[in-house]
Amino acid sequence: MGIAGIGLATACGTAASAADGPAAAPAATSQNATSQNATSPSGTISEAGSTLLEPLMQKWATAYHQQYPGATVNVASPGGGSTKGITDAENGSVAIGASDAYLSSGDLLQHPSLLNIPLAVSAQSVIYNLPSLQGTHINLNGMVLAGMYNGSITTWDDPAIRALNPGVSLPPTRVVPVHRSTGSGDTFIFTSYLSTQDPAWSQHVGYGTQVAWSPLATAQAVSSSTTMISTCARFAGCIGYNGISYLPLEQAKGLGEAALENSRGNFEIPSATTIDAELNDFVGITPDNETISMIAGPAPGGYPIINFEYAIVTTSQPSAGRATAVRDFLNWVVSSSSALSLVGSVGFQPLPGDVRQLSLDQIARIH
Amino acid sequence: MATAAAPTAPPPAGLPPAGPAGRTPPAGRRRAPARGGLRRWISEQRTPAAMRLSLALLVILSLAWGGLGAWTVAQHSSAASSLAHTDEPSSFYAQQLYLNIAQADVTITTAFLTVAQPVAPGAAMPSTLQAREKFEADLASASHDLAAIQGSSTSAAFSKDVASIASGLATYRGDVASAESQYSDDDIPAGDSFMEVASEDAHLTLLPSAQDIYRIENDAVAGSKGQATSLLTLLIAVVVAVGALLALLRVQRWLARRTRRVLNLGLVLATTALVISVGWLAVTFGIANSDLSTAIGQGANPAQSLAQASIDIQQIRGDSILNVIARSGTTTLQADSAAQQANVHSLLGGALAAGNGQASPAIRAAMAATPSWYAANAKGYTDASTYDFSGEQGYVDSAASGYSGLEADVSDALRASQATFTSQADTGASAFGPLEAIVIVAAVLMAAASAWGMSRRLAEYR
Repeated sequence: MGIAGIGLATACGTAASAADGPAAAPAATSQNATSQNATSPSGTISEAGSTLLEPLMQKWATAYHQQYPGATVNVASPGGGSTKGITDAENGSVAIGASDAYLSSGDLLQHPSLLNIPLAVSAQSVIYNLPSLQGTHINLNGMVLAGMYNGSITTWDDPAIRALNPGVSLPPTRVVPVHRSTGSGDTFIFTSYLSTQDPAWSQHVGYGTQVAWSPLATAQAVSSSTTMISTCARFAGCIGYNGISYLPLEQAKGLGEAALENSRGNFEIPSATTIDAELNDFVGITPDNETISMIAGPAPGGYPIINFEYAIVTTSQPSAGRATAVRDFLNWVVSSSSALSLVGSVGFQPLPGDVRQLSLDQIARIH
Repeated sequence: MATAAAPTAPPPAGLPPAGPAGRTPPAGRRRAPARGGLRRWISEQRTPAAMRLSLALLVILSLAWGGLGAWTVAQHSSAASSLAHTDEPSSFYAQQLYLNIAQADVTITTAFLTVAQPVAPGAAMPSTLQAREKFEADLASASHDLAAIQGSSTSAAFSKDVASIASGLATYRGDVASAESQYSDDDIPAGDSFMEVASEDAHLTLLPSAQDIYRIENDAVAGSKGQATSLLTLLIAVVVAVGALLALLRVQRWLARRTRRVLNLGLVLATTALVISVGWLAVTFGIANSDLSTAIGQGANPAQSLAQASIDIQQIRGDSILNVIARSGTTTLQADSAAQQANVHSLLGGALAAGNGQASPAIRAAMAATPSWYAANAKGYTDASTYDFSGEQGYVDSAASGYSGLEADVSDALRASQATFTSQADTGASAFGPLEAIVIVAAVLMAAASAWGMSRRLAEYR
C-alpha cells in the first residue's frame, strides 16, 4: 500500500469518516497543516478535459491543497472537453484527463495502459430558453428531442410537445437546437439517450462524442459547457444539453430544466433521489474496468441520463513520485469525507460502495 | 628419447622370421623416420603387444562409431518425430486457439450489432441463436485447443499466457452475457458498452496471449526443423566412421606384412559391417532430409504464412467491427487495419512462392478476393469518419460475404499446406525406421569381429 498505508497509520485517533476506506490515507491524515509529515501527499500534477467535471475538480483541487499544502493539482480552465482529456492523458501532457465518456476500444487498443476511473456520478440536464415558462419543468422525451434536433419539430407548440405537457401553455417560439461542435462526452451521453428512445435516430444518426447533426438553419454549435449556457440564454426557443454541475449558472440565466421520460414512461428531473434510483440498477453489473453506459435504465423513478465522471490515467506514470501524487489525489477524491462533501455541491452523487471499491482497485494499479 | 635409439636396436628375442616391417636395417644405414607418431610407436612395439593395442583400438573405434552413429540417428529421428507429431501439431493448435477466439469475437459482435439495428414496426427481431451457438462452439474449440497445448512448453511466459487465457475466457463469456442482457432490454448503448468491454477482453488479453503462445510454439517448430535437418552431428559420425575404416584397413595391411596372412576374416567382417551401416545411414539421411525439406518448404512454411495471414484477416475484420461500436472518432483501428492488410499481402505472396500445387489455387483465389473486401472496409471507415453510423453499421453486412469468402480460401490453402506437411513429415520421420538398431548391431558386430580376428592372429603367434 506504500504511502497510503503509512498515512492510515498516522491517522490513528483522527476523525476519519465512515467513507474512508483502507486506501483513503490522505483523507484520514490529520487536516491540520501543522501535522504534515513525510507521508503527506505532495507534488504537483495537472488535470484537463471534461468541462462538466471542471467545476467540481476546481473545488477538489482547492480543498486538497488546503488540506495538504505540499500538494497541488493544476486544473485547466477551460478544460477543453472530454476528447481533449482523453487525448492529453494518452500523450502524457496531463497526469489526469477528465472525461464524461469512457475510453473507447480504439483508445485502449492504442494505449492499453490507460484506465478510466469513475470519480463521481453525474447527470445531464436538458435545458431550454422559454421565458414565459420560467419555473416550470416541461416534459420531454427522446422522440421529441430527436425531432427538435433533426428538424421535424420546429416550434415549441408542436403537437408532440403539447401532448407531453397537458395544461402547459407552450409558445409558438421557433426551436433553436444547440449542440457541441467538437468531441464531447456530453454529446456522447445525450445522443446515447436519443438512440435508446428513437429507432430512427439510432439508425440514421446514432451516438458518439461527435455525430452528424442535421444541418438546420436554426441550429447553433458551441464549443464548451459555458458557451452552451450563454448561447442558449441568447436565443429564445433554445434547446440544449449540459452537465448538471452547470445547473446553478443555467438557473441564474433564466434557463429551464426539462423533466425527461424514463424507460418506464415517468418524467423525472435530475436529483439525488432520481440519480441514485437510476444508478442502483447498474452498480451490480459494472465491470472491473468500469466501462459502462448507464442510459435509460429500468428504474421506474430514475432519471434516464446519468454517467460516471471519469479520470483517464495511465498505469505507467513517468516517475514514482508522480505515480504517488496521482494515486494520493485520486484516493482522496474517491474516498475522503472532504472530497465527498463537495460532490453534492455541483449536483453530482458520490460513487456507491461497490463502484468505489472498483475505482480504488484501479487506482492501486497506477505505478 | 626412445625414437633416437630405435633404428639401431637389435630385434627382440623370440621373434619369428621378420617380415618387411620387422627387418633389421642394414648396418651403417639409417632407417627412414616414421611419419606418424602412433604408427612409429606401434612399429617399435613387439608384435603381440602391437596386435593387442590394435585390437583395443579397433574395438574402441567400433563402439565409438556405434555410439555416435546411433546417437545421431536418435537425435534426428527424435527431432523429425517431434516436428511431425508434437511441435507442428502444437503450433497448429496455437493458431487454432487464436482463430477460434477471434472468430468468436467477430461472430458475436456482428450478431449483436445486427440486433442493435432498429427493425421495422411489426417485423421480427433478427435471431442471434445461430450466432450464439457458433460463438459457444468457437469458445469450446478454443478451450480444447488450450488443453491440447497445455504441456507443450515449460517456459514461464507460456504458463502465464495459458493461465491468462484460461481465466480470461470466463470473464469474456460473462461480459458477452451482460451485453446480451442489455441488448435484450433494448438498451443499445449499454449493450454496446459491454460489447466494448468484451472485445477489450478479447483484444487486450485473450488474443495477445494466444499470439504469444503461437510465437512460442513456432519457435519450438523452428528448433525442431533445424535439429531434424542439421548435418553437423551426421558429419561428426561420418568422420568417426571413416576413421574406423582407415584403422581397419591399416591394421589389415600391417597384419598382412607382419604375419604373411593376406586375409583376416574377422577384420573383413568388421569392415563389411561398417561399410553397410554407413551406407545405410547415408541413404536414410538423404531420403529423410529430402522428405523433411519438402514437408517444411512446401508444408510448414507456407502453412505458417497462411496461418498468420488468417490471423491478420481476423484482426482486420475485428478492427472494423470494433470501430463500429467504439464511436470514438479515433483512427487507431483504421491504421491498424491498414498495417494488417500489408501483412496479408506479403504473407499470401510468400505462401504462393512456396510452390505447393495443392494450395496454390486457393491462395490465388484469396489474393484475388482481397481488393474488394479491403474496399468494403475502407467504406466503413469513411462512414465512421463522417459520423455516418447508419452507413457504418451497413458495412457489417456488406463486408460479411467478402470476409467469409476470403477466410474460406485461406483456410483451404492452409489445410492443403498442412496436409502436405503431415504426409511428407511422416514419411521423413519414418524413414529412420530401424537405422538406430542397425548402427548399434553393426558396431557390436564390428567390435566382436575385430576382437575375434585379432585374437586368432595372436593365438597363431604363440
